[in-house]
Amino acid sequence: MTLTQVLDIVRTDIAQSLVLFSPELALVVTILLILFVRLFQREGTYLARHLALLGTVISLGLAAYLFNRTSLSAETPEIFGGMLVVDGFTHFFRMLLAAFGVFMVWLCAITAVPSARDASDFFPLLLGATLGMMLMTSSIHLLMIFMAVEMASLPSYGLAGFLKEDRRAGEASLKYVVFGAGASGIMLYGMSLLAGRFGTAHLPTLARELAGAVQSTGGFVLDPIVVAGVLLILVGIGFKIAAVPFHFWCPDVFQGASAEVAGFLSVASKAAALALLARFSLTLAYPLFAADSTAITGALGLTLGLLAAVTATYGNLAAYAQTNLKRLLAFSTIAHAGYMMMPIAAAIGAQSESLYRPAVDAVLFYLAVYLFMNLGAFGVVALIRNAIGSEDLRDYVGLIHRNAPLTVAMAVFMLSLTGIPPLAGFVAKFRIFAVLYDTGFLWLLVIGLINTVFSLFYYVKVLRVMIVDQPEVERPGWQLAPLAMAFNAVLVLANLAPLAPGVWPALQAVTQSAVSWLHLPY
Amino acid sequence: MLDSLVNLVWLVPLASFLAAALTWACGRWLGRMVWIPCLAASAFGALWSLLVLIRVASSAPAAVLVDVFSWLQVGELDVTVRLLVDPLSSLMLFMVTFVGSLIVLFSVWYMAEERGYARFFAEVALFLGAMSSLVLVANVLLLYVFWELVGLCSYLLIGFYFTRPSAAAAAKKAFVVNRVGDFGFAIGLLLLWTLTGTLHYDQLLGGDSPAINSLTPPWITLIGLLLFCGAVGKSAQFPLHVWLPDAMEGPTPVSALIHAATMVTAGVYMVARFFPLYQASALATGTVLAIGAFTAFLAAAIAVTQTDLKRILAYSTISQLAYMFMGLGTGQIVGAVAAIFHVFTHAFFKALLFLGSGSVMHATHGELNIWKMGGLRRFLPVTHWTFLCGALALAGIPLFSGFWSKDAILAAVWEAEHGGLLVRVALILGLVTAFLTAFYTARAYFLVFWGEPRDEEVAEQVRHYAEDGHPGEGQQHGPAEPLTMQVPLIALAAGAVLLGLILALGTGGLVPFLGHSFGYAEAGEHGHHPLLLVVLSSLLALAGFAAAYPMYATASELPARLAALFRPLYVASSQKFWIDEIWLYIAVRPMLAVAAACRVLDTLVVDGLVNLVASIPAVLARVFLRPMHSGALQFYAIGMLLGLAVIVILVVLRAS
Repeated sequence: MTLTQVLDIVRTDIAQSLVLFSPELALVVTILLILFVRLFQREGTYLARHLALLGTVISLGLAAYLFNRTSLSAETPEIFGGMLVVDGFTHFFRMLLAAFGVFMVWLCAITAVPSARDASDFFPLLLGATLGMMLMTSSIHLLMIFMAVEMASLPSYGLAGFLKEDRRAGEASLKYVVFGAGASGIMLYGMSLLAGRFGTAHLPTLARELAGAVQSTGGFVLDPIVVAGVLLILVGIGFKIAAVPFHFWCPDVFQGASAEVAGFLSVASKAAALALLARFSLTLAYPLFAADSTAITGALGLTLGLLAAVTATYGNLAAYAQTNLKRLLAFSTIAHAGYMMMPIAAAIGAQSESLYRPAVDAVLFYLAVYLFMNLGAFGVVALIRNAIGSEDLRDYVGLIHRNAPLTVAMAVFMLSLTGIPPLAGFVAKFRIFAVLYDTGFLWLLVIGLINTVFSLFYYVKVLRVMIVDQPEVERPGWQLAPLAMAFNAVLVLANLAPLAPGVWPALQAVTQSAVSWLHLPY
Repeated sequence: MLDSLVNLVWLVPLASFLAAALTWACGRWLGRMVWIPCLAASAFGALWSLLVLIRVASSAPAAVLVDVFSWLQVGELDVTVRLLVDPLSSLMLFMVTFVGSLIVLFSVWYMAEERGYARFFAEVALFLGAMSSLVLVANVLLLYVFWELVGLCSYLLIGFYFTRPSAAAAAKKAFVVNRVGDFGFAIGLLLLWTLTGTLHYDQLLGGDSPAINSLTPPWITLIGLLLFCGAVGKSAQFPLHVWLPDAMEGPTPVSALIHAATMVTAGVYMVARFFPLYQASALATGTVLAIGAFTAFLAAAIAVTQTDLKRILAYSTISQLAYMFMGLGTGQIVGAVAAIFHVFTHAFFKALLFLGSGSVMHATHGELNIWKMGGLRRFLPVTHWTFLCGALALAGIPLFSGFWSKDAILAAVWEAEHGGLLVRVALILGLVTAFLTAFYTARAYFLVFWGEPRDEEVAEQVRHYAEDGHPGEGQQHGPAEPLTMQVPLIALAAGAVLLGLILALGTGGLVPFLGHSFGYAEAGEHGHHPLLLVVLSSLLALAGFAAAYPMYATASELPARLAALFRPLYVASSQKFWIDEIWLYIAVRPMLAVAAACRVLDTLVVDGLVNLVASIPAVLARVFLRPMHSGALQFYAIGMLLGLAVIVILVVLRAS
């Protein structure tokens, strides 16, 4: 396509594109508003926080509205001339990220990080990163993918170093930047290889070209440029997911950043990166099924499977030795990223179209649950830090006597993260394992199961310290503010959702309808 | 409008569950008014279920299925919460909520001095919700869920005074003994699902080709017997009856509600619900009949010599429940209808007797030994008269409600076609039990309310109570018999006196109504009472009651002399035929030995293995992983590149 052709397409569908883009636009407007209001605002007010809350709620509302009005994207889900795609998958992630944004603002309001003075710097960064993450989930153009990743990353670097007086935060931020720059460079190189080889950066077209090339050569011939291109892009995505061995930044950054930011990065950033991984690898692999050349997809599936297995195992083993709660949770999130990569790997490696959607379904379901359990854990860490000024496990001794509700909430989150029935984490994990079973990836299933056992020890260790161990000196307890109590209650209830009638089928219906409407190139 | 009445029947359990949640959450805030949610919910339930009952009774079709929501669907397992409103369930629902609300009202007064006032009402509301769900659900799995939930409530409420070791032990005993029966129930349920592939009543029992018809006779018998195991546990039949007398450790309203009127009849309800299944197997019905007849006699024989008022009533409950199983064991629709009829009347008069004994307990400050009481009718007139109504109904004195329902059961046994010897023995046991029942009921009644006080301390207590009201720790001492306790007693007494007459004669009997319960075959000719039997059982009941008068109404040497004369029998009865001890030696002690062995195994082998597994990640983490996270950026970058290199090499090797 020539530039003029593209411009024509953009001009004709701009109106519809903007409508479908409205959740992102809401965030853009909010960011601008916050920056604008700052010019006239006196210090010490909470206007930025209120605006951020309003913006995320509106964005969530718009995303949910568009999700229910599927007719709006009847013709083709691709908007802006094939830069972005708005399908069920995108809708789901936009709702997830916007909902997460609401929870983040709520948590920040409770823990008073950032302070009122910093809020108008903090929230534009937070919303900007969220915007980038939304774009990551909907990009189907290599350049757009790169821009989205950068859009998500750059504010994240700032967020990681936001505790300006803390030396660790500065170090974390710098490490994150250096690492991120390296990964971006590698990814961009991979993209240039692919785009150069096939003459297009539009992912579905590229995938069709690849399938055609494979078909015309009568089977798979190892093309070093394609292999290098795909793998280098995967490095970039792997960095965002914090998949081993591209994870080294993660524990240091989480430890240095505040618990709130760590919670944000661990959920939102990971969700967006997994969405990108799923979108990129499935789009690339799908035409290959049609071309019936499964050797290349088999290799891709195996690579991702190995990556997932190593990531999960490494995360769980390394978490065991940690005493800093944020660091422990950092490794825990690495392990969970491993679990979530498993079904994607299985779907590609299973070489069967029928298992595509259930696999993606399982990932979406897991992410929805993961939001509640992981944010809950980081929220508790933040609240405890506010009260006792420490994030070290050794200072958590006897917390049950000091603040029972918080300890109970932490127990629910930890057990849910482990995957103990009847908590939500169990259901989510069960669905992932069911996909592995159905696709015949039994070795991956076994690794997943062993990992679950390993993970039990360090999650329960935290609970043992908080509940069973006796403190040497009695320390005073404290009361939670009503808003904090409500925050924890909501998240705990969300983790108990499988017990409530109707909730599980409802969530299942959402993920299923999101998946049934997944845009794939034919 | 009328149909939405039935379609919204789930409001009845929901109201109770909400009341339980509210009481639990706001207990502290509500203070002494904490009974309001529970009473409101149960009264609402009683009203609603009465309307539903009238609606079901007045129109065809008799059975309505109500889909509430789909809980989960995994593969073939479809757990849709579906309710069944038919004559059987609507009658049970009304009984549970109506008797329940009266007992809750009584508890407002009775429990007023207790600590844990809020806990009591929260648990009772939870129980009422679970029990009304149990009778409504149309799915065996959900039946099982609520079956266990009422069991849990029973456990919690038996152990209400958990600081008392005997109460804690009784709660544990009830729980464990019920597990034995429920084990059979669970296996029966799983068999049913494996063989028919469904657990919905409408697919199992209803329609043109009910799923149970596809089962072969041996399976039907096996499933019937396994399900009956659960009923034996829940409804306290021999040999699992041992938990019920101990369950009297709970507060008296709990004994009235859970351990007399409602929960213990769940077993009867379940067998009646699966009556078509039982009808298909002569062996299963025969077993039900045999267990019923034997338990009826055994429990009555034990009750004759007990001295604890609540335990006498507990044994009489076991005995009356056994009558119900006798009715079901006839394998005929008239028998099943008679059994449910007896469930219904029994709920009224037995709840009444328990509440009456609760009033007595308050007066005697917790003393329950009937040999220490006497002459209480002068101090507690309302309690006395209502208790008398209940006693006459329990004894089966003609025209009182117990007479009609018990007679209907005996008539069904009399007319049972099959069985021969078993039926004849059962009938004789039933008649003997009728005599014993009248005798021990009259014995308890006369000892408590007639004659002169036998114990100075208790007498002083009662006199003091009649004048000042509550002897408890509270500041406000009300009258001995305030209106809140009179209303439930009088309402229940009215039921005990009139219900049988109304239901047996007023509308031409219950067979035309209950006989159309879900899945029931068309009943043949309606049961008619053989005159000879009516006369015989009336005479036996009257004789039993009359025999007790000279022995217990006045001071008499007769009881002591009779006890001496039949010393072995007397001891056996008062020692409850040593069944508790037999259980102790054949089950409890061996189990404890096995448990001790398991514990050794657990600490040595299992814990060792767990510790070993736990040490693997710890060692791996310390040896390999920790050094990698040194914090040095250069090392991280090298790790990343090495990782990428490994992946590239793997892919290339794999692909070429």
